[in-house]
Amino acid sequence: MSVLAYGVVAWLFLIGLYGVVTSRNLIHMVVCVSVAQSATDVLLLEIGYRTGGHAPVFVSLPAHPGPAVDALMQALALTDVVVGAAVTALLLAVAVQVHKRAGTLDPDELRATRE
Amino acid sequence: MTAVNLVVSTSAVIPASVAVPLGGAALMAGFSRFLPRLARDLIAIAVALATTALTLILTAASAGHPLIYWFSGWRPARGMVIGIDYAVGPLGAGMASLAGVLASAALVYCLRYFDSARGRHHALVLIFLAASVDFCLTGDLFNLFVAFELVAVTAFALTAYNAGHPAPLQGAINFAVTNSLGGMSVLMGVGFLYARTGSLNLAQIGQTLAGRHADALVVVAFALLTGGFLVKAAVVPFHFWLPDAYGSAPIPVCVLFAGVMSELGLFAVIRVWVTVFSGLDGGTGPRMRAVLLGLGILTAVIGAVMALAQVHLKRMLAFLTMSHLGIYLIGAGLLTPLGLAGASLLVIGDGLAKSALFLGVGVVQHQRASVSETRLHGAGRGLAVTGVTMALGALLLADLPPYVSSAGHGLLVDAAERAGLPWMELVVAFSVVASSGAVLRAAGRIWLGWGDGESPGPDTGTADDPGEESESEPGPASAEGAGGADSGQAERDRAGRRRRAPLVMVLPPLALLAIGLGLGLTSGIEEHATAAAAAFSDRAAYATAVLGTAPVPPAGGIAVPPSSVVSAGGVLTDLGQVLAALCVAAVALDRRSAGLRRALAAGTGWLRRLHSGLVGDQVTWLTAGLALLAALGAAALH
Amino acid sequence: MSRRARLALFAAAAAALAVTLGAGLAGLPSFGSQLTSYARLLNELAPRQRHVTDVVSAITFDYRGIDTLFEEFILLAAVAGISVLLRPLSDEVRELPEDKAPDRAIPPPSPAVWLLTVLLSSLLALTGLETVTHGVVTPGGGFQAGVILASALYVIYLGTNYRTVERYQPAPLLEASDGVGAFGYVVIGLLGLLAGDVFLSNVLGLGGTGNMIAGGTIAVLNLTVGLEVAGGFAILGSEFLDQTAVIRTKSRRR
Repeated sequence: MSVLAYGVVAWLFLIGLYGVVTSRNLIHMVVCVSVAQSATDVLLLEIGYRTGGHAPVFVSLPAHPGPAVDALMQALALTDVVVGAAVTALLLAVAVQVHKRAGTLDPDELRATRE
Repeated sequence: MTAVNLVVSTSAVIPASVAVPLGGAALMAGFSRFLPRLARDLIAIAVALATTALTLILTAASAGHPLIYWFSGWRPARGMVIGIDYAVGPLGAGMASLAGVLASAALVYCLRYFDSARGRHHALVLIFLAASVDFCLTGDLFNLFVAFELVAVTAFALTAYNAGHPAPLQGAINFAVTNSLGGMSVLMGVGFLYARTGSLNLAQIGQTLAGRHADALVVVAFALLTGGFLVKAAVVPFHFWLPDAYGSAPIPVCVLFAGVMSELGLFAVIRVWVTVFSGLDGGTGPRMRAVLLGLGILTAVIGAVMALAQVHLKRMLAFLTMSHLGIYLIGAGLLTPLGLAGASLLVIGDGLAKSALFLGVGVVQHQRASVSETRLHGAGRGLAVTGVTMALGALLLADLPPYVSSAGHGLLVDAAERAGLPWMELVVAFSVVASSGAVLRAAGRIWLGWGDGESPGPDTGTADDPGEESESEPGPASAEGAGGADSGQAERDRAGRRRRAPLVMVLPPLALLAIGLGLGLTSGIEEHATAAAAAFSDRAAYATAVLGTAPVPPAGGIAVPPSSVVSAGGVLTDLGQVLAALCVAAVALDRRSAGLRRALAAGTGWLRRLHSGLVGDQVTWLTAGLALLAALGAAALH
Repeated sequence: MSRRARLALFAAAAAALAVTLGAGLAGLPSFGSQLTSYARLLNELAPRQRHVTDVVSAITFDYRGIDTLFEEFILLAAVAGISVLLRPLSDEVRELPEDKAPDRAIPPPSPAVWLLTVLLSSLLALTGLETVTHGVVTPGGGFQAGVILASALYVIYLGTNYRTVERYQPAPLLEASDGVGAFGYVVIGLLGLLAGDVFLSNVLGLGGTGNMIAGGTIAVLNLTVGLEVAGGFAILGSEFLDQTAVIRTKSRRR
């Protein structure tokens, strides 16, 4: 179970990197960055998981509630999601302008910063 | 001012140093449409200056022992850290003060640089400043990550400010994608360390790991954390985004980047290494030192060689920044307080000088509408003050005494000798001479009209991006590209020669150089720096200060070496470097050396082609770099 | 590098990185095993000390409140950055979308679509308000609620047209909401200083556990963050919408 659970993290990160490296479309590339971001979210949440645990919300609990999962990791994952959303939004705005100004969305066709 | 008063008053100063710029930025973002342009500029400058004053107070107040501040009142309980702390030391607070000074200078410069009616940079610059201060003062690993991301987000947005041209947009993409991936790498490292040690506090993680042997998880955490921060610091092979971003960002933004942002990445690497990993078996051993020094040497040399090869002034300065960062990494990578002290003085001095150079290039861009060294041949007439600034800045970067950089250089060379690596001085000298020589060559060509006017290779015209994107005037400064710009170019040339360069653009660089000179002339600056570095490098004392209850007296164990720097030998070496830089510039401009230049260009062509500006390549190098760092870390720590 | 060289280098590098990550992940405690003592301590302390039942909110706004301050500003910076990036440039002009034929107005949306829009956006607004005010009791809070509230405005655009939605989201109001939300967090932090304690101390009354108004500053910070995020995301949507519907290159106007 551990192998599958943690393997997902490595897989998501690497496939996101692969997507960025081979991308031919800026929008696709931004989404791949987002996929790599989700690897970190999954890692944090998995580190905080407790088998048979319930959410760290102590209201309306059953009679024998058992342990709660790690609330700290959930707070960190929340922060990570916000960061990811901010970066994705900025990159998409840049992509919109690139399409208008450079006429292409192919990252390999952008040669504006060559010497 | 007695010590007691200082302790009491600094309890409000510490949170104010981030609350003030953040509050100012929030008001700017929310209500800037109700304020006239001048009011916005002045308020932003006032906020930046206030923040600088607060961080300077902290630098002075924390000189004896670190100031620990627990937010929300959550002090450690049951042997565990619950809340987030700031651990303020003179090194961190000094770095934050540098950020404040440069942000203030950049905002003053923006008074004329951004001519548009709705300048929108104020909130972003103030948030950048607040995040930098947080980055330098924090004692919590996740807070470090959040500050890292905040600096990054504001930087991405500022890079793409001139959104009407493809170059800044491409620079922003390269910057944003590589640095985001770096941030993700940092976060994964944080997760690993939390899973192992159960804490997010730097001191507590370090205490838990101390004395233990590093297993695979700790090595991987080290590689991910260090690699992520090295992306920000633009160390080889994570540096490919740097020339693209610096080359196309607006000039005041380049000041912030060159003077503060790259150095923050390095600061984080050393901070995390000292507080978390230095207690491990082999954490301070010669193999770890070899890893850091190797990366530093590579960065310094490649940066210097690439700087020489550029005709685009901003890209040249970008590679110069990278090269100097390699030198700081060498200083810090010696893993002694003396080396770290040398690196910190260099950071301050070079940061001020690099910013002055960028601001000078900005004046040229504003008045002559180009940043291409070859197209600007002889165009410097009428901009004499800026010419002097550029030349002076380049010479000071070559460690001309009595500037503070030469003091730092002396400490670094001293540290290298004590570590048994006297040849390091040659590497540093080569990098400094080559990069300063490139700037002097450009200054000679632009202001004195020496050298050829044609460029050696095809000039793609990216060096003619106009300075600012003006919203009010629809004139020739629009997205017509290189083709239709000829008549517009002539018009701008004539207009530029008629107008004098504005004072708020010409004076700030001189002010920055003056600050550096003042610091260099301060007696005892080397002792202060060494003491600060010694305190910074002492993991055990730091842990006791954060986790214990009583403030710790200065660590007596580490001897502060006597001031060996102001010796005739040190001054001669520095003067020799300056002279060598002048010779490099003279040789480069001489028409008879054309054959030599062609041979050098051919020899370094492969290196220049590697810097393709394509984000796919850059991410590939990043992946390779992370894996390499893990292998090196395993060799050093296992 | 050519594409083939890049792929080859990446394949090697990714393989090495995969091994690295695998080695690191293998050192983690087995999935689902014991929590760290820090986590257990927080789960134990938060309901008792802060009278909130949602521990994640307590951590976000109290125990690690300074982190959230910077996180909120990441969003503010991103929104400010996007406003800069998508502003009309010197060769562009704002043209409200109109039908090209002069004697024809844009047909209004059908009654069914209109009804659906009203219902959906009201529902989203209510859900958003519920989420932000109950953040101390149940999962939710400022960030989540802000996005839901902003999406109420997006739904209005989907069901009607540009002019209608611009009426409901005047730019000065959104910017002010964004700025006030962010500034409010700083001010509440300063309240702690004024009360003689440290920055961001919980200086308001704590209320009863399980109530909506509990946790002292946690509840108030929830509201300010909700205000900021809602304003921010609404500006975001409005900026992208402007780019598509309104901003046109000048030359086309000949």
